[in-house]
Amino acid sequence: MESSSNQGEFDYLFKLLMIGDSGVGKSSLLLSFTSDTFEHLSPTIGVDFKVKYVNIGGKKLKLAIWDTAGQERFRTLTSSYYRGAQGIIMVYDVTRRDTFTNLSEIWAKEIELYSTNQDCIKMLVGNKVDKESDRVVTKKEGINFARECGCLFIECSAKTRVNVQQCFEELVLKILDTPSLLAEGSRGVRKNIFKERPPQSDASTSGCC
Amino acid sequence: MATTTNTMASFLTATQRYAAGALFALALHQAQINRSRPLGLFPDDEPPSDDRTSSSSGGSDSVADDPDLWVHEISGLLRPVFRFLGIESVAWSGLEETAGSSPAKHHVGAFLRLLAEEENGENSDQELALSRAVDAMARSMEKTLEVSESKKEKRREYENEWREKCSTAEVQSNMDAAGIKSEVQKSTDENNLAIEDGLDGSGSKVDEKPIEEVVLGYQRKVTVLYELLTACLADTHADNKKCTRKRKGYDARHRVTLRLLATWLDVQWIKMEAIETMVACSAMALAEKKEESNEEPQSSKSKWAKWKRGGIIGAAALTGGTLMAITGGLAAPAIAAGLSALAPTLGTLIPVIGASGFAAAASAAGTVAGSVAVAASFGAAGAGLTGSKMARRTGSVDEFEFRVVGENHNQGRLAVEIMVSGFVFNEEDFVRPWEVQSDNLERYALQWESKNLIAVSTAIQDWLTSRISMELMKQGAMLTVLSTLVAALAWPATLLAATDFIDSTWTIAVDRSDKAGRLLAEVLLKGFHGNRPVTLVGYSLGARVIFKCLQFLAETEKNAELVERVVLLGAPIPIKDENWGAARKMVAGRFVNAYSTNDWTLGVAFRASLLTQGLAGIQPIDVPGIENVDVTDLIEGHSSYLWATQQILELLELDTYYPVFRGTKCIQ
Repeated sequence: MESSSNQGEFDYLFKLLMIGDSGVGKSSLLLSFTSDTFEHLSPTIGVDFKVKYVNIGGKKLKLAIWDTAGQERFRTLTSSYYRGAQGIIMVYDVTRRDTFTNLSEIWAKEIELYSTNQDCIKMLVGNKVDKESDRVVTKKEGINFARECGCLFIECSAKTRVNVQQCFEELVLKILDTPSLLAEGSRGVRKNIFKERPPQSDASTSGCC
Repeated sequence: MATTTNTMASFLTATQRYAAGALFALALHQAQINRSRPLGLFPDDEPPSDDRTSSSSGGSDSVADDPDLWVHEISGLLRPVFRFLGIESVAWSGLEETAGSSPAKHHVGAFLRLLAEEENGENSDQELALSRAVDAMARSMEKTLEVSESKKEKRREYENEWREKCSTAEVQSNMDAAGIKSEVQKSTDENNLAIEDGLDGSGSKVDEKPIEEVVLGYQRKVTVLYELLTACLADTHADNKKCTRKRKGYDARHRVTLRLLATWLDVQWIKMEAIETMVACSAMALAEKKEESNEEPQSSKSKWAKWKRGGIIGAAALTGGTLMAITGGLAAPAIAAGLSALAPTLGTLIPVIGASGFAAAASAAGTVAGSVAVAASFGAAGAGLTGSKMARRTGSVDEFEFRVVGENHNQGRLAVEIMVSGFVFNEEDFVRPWEVQSDNLERYALQWESKNLIAVSTAIQDWLTSRISMELMKQGAMLTVLSTLVAALAWPATLLAATDFIDSTWTIAVDRSDKAGRLLAEVLLKGFHGNRPVTLVGYSLGARVIFKCLQFLAETEKNAELVERVVLLGAPIPIKDENWGAARKMVAGRFVNAYSTNDWTLGVAFRASLLTQGLAGIQPIDVPGIENVDVTDLIEGHSSYLWATQQILELLELDTYYPVFRGTKCIQ
């Protein structure tokens, strides 16, 4: 595992995916996590991708985070990104009930349909808790739903950065706890196809005919 | 069109352009993968590949960490296209990463669906007009191809001439060798099978893409390809100094990518060639028109001025006659025709699509192409290639000239083919073997060192018909399969001694072919061919010229910007001591080595110590990404390449993205 590598020092690489309705703050949450800033973003086009190196649980980790567009028209794209993800973050807006109900009606089903990873860790995130006065989805509801579909749960605010780090940290800790996911994320598994000869070609050498 | 200079005029919506850009990115990455592992040639890593490649492809932690990837920002291949398409820059890294981090097939379906889903009502008329024009153009190109049917006759004549002239000895030996051949057959069968598998594999792979569930209209496909090609040619890269792509124009890697994309979209390649011609012609005509009328003073004029100054055309401008090549040859009829400024050939198509339809098509074609100055790199070629008699300058090569072959010159063709003969008996043999082939490339034959080549070819031929070789043949020495000789080093002493007198001429010719290779590389590097993707085809010592050219390119070039495809036939090149990997790297698309296990002419000429290193012309080369094709059954002897080359090329179907050799199907 601790193979000395010249390129980017890390022990594990995890692929995380963020899903949820348009406007719930997926991209803001990601931005808040990766660069500690908050700004008003225009809707994501298709998919966005960010990398963040973190130290969690005594391990150096590289997180590859895919942030998908929530807009209906891009829905068709999202399906292909579930593949191989070790963690999936389902985000809703605590001030908009439809974003919460859509998680169970649409998004949870998508995960079931497209995720290739049996053990993949799911996390339910209620965003925008800074707007406490507008809140329509209670914490209790969130907890119940999370229990129902067997996922982690946290409420946070991308704007005030409350619980943002914790959100990703808890998810990653859980992944680290799951041996099968750990094995997938270990460096040993991956290799560069452009730098290696394909396995087959060794079989025949030049004098064969 | 009343568009601002920055946003292109497009018939696609923003979402569709995003999807088109994504598909292009996926194809670009796939094309790079296929360079070292051609589609379907590695069927064994298909089934589990889903997860294995997803973790392995691209190296991959992330695209950003691997500057060697074509989809990496630094390659300068993808972002200019995104920029032209008007895809917002925030979405770029997501697309690059998507393309580079997982197998294309996971995503192609989704993006095709995205492309198909959205309606763009008002533009559908233009889409229709454009696709009609493309169809018409393709039809006219096909028509010119049909004409060449009569040329087949010509080839037969040529073939017969040759059979009479020089096959006596070889044919005899081969007839006698029939028994041994079966032995060869066995080993080649394996090879054929591999290729067959490849075919099937690739076929199913294409089918695999869930294209059928998406109703992506033909017109939309054509529009997408049209806009992507324009994006490839557009002069929109800039800013990045670190960019490893050195030149503007039509990058060979882009053409390979478009070829794959056309395969995915199930659009015939000739349609893509029609699109190329239309983009080329309308872009040049528009540029010229703006220049003349001075209507749009600023940007377009300065672009055109830059173009003229030679910044874009590059060294070709120095040869003089360049401007004539552009204005006189290619664009003039177009300008005269005003907006209907497509290819001259298009003019005859008005009856087919109707005058108004034609106007619509012309403006549709022009809208996209004209909205951003195309980094026109073509057109100068005619003067550039045929005008460059570089030999005098270098001195080490006595003769090095390009001769025009076929009728596709100054027709706005966006790809060039250079063909190199290597076994010749008179000057005509530099051109005649290539005359018949029918494709839509702008074609040139390289005539080089005719004196030396004729000398060596004649020496070999004389020896073959000499008594001593006849004698050897009777004894069966020549019938032994060449590669077993190679393996065993068991050359009959008589054979070695007998060929002494070939050696002197051969050594000179080999030396000259290396030098000619360097010259060819220089021609390409300087862009005399107009920075268009080049297909190189050569047999015998001509194949060696091409190989050496690739090696010289590899000295200064990092990437396959220039050369799209390569076919080597009966190549006198050792396998072991040459850097095939480096040569392969210079080629963006298919790299074919056609060999004949029975080509003992080549073996005799090449022989001695060199044979311990293997020989490309009689053996497969074990380098990832090189398609080895056994043409033993088509070749009676080395001189057969003179007339059989065209047939082999037809069987190779060079316009197909994945490895094909139809011959294997026929044999079995």
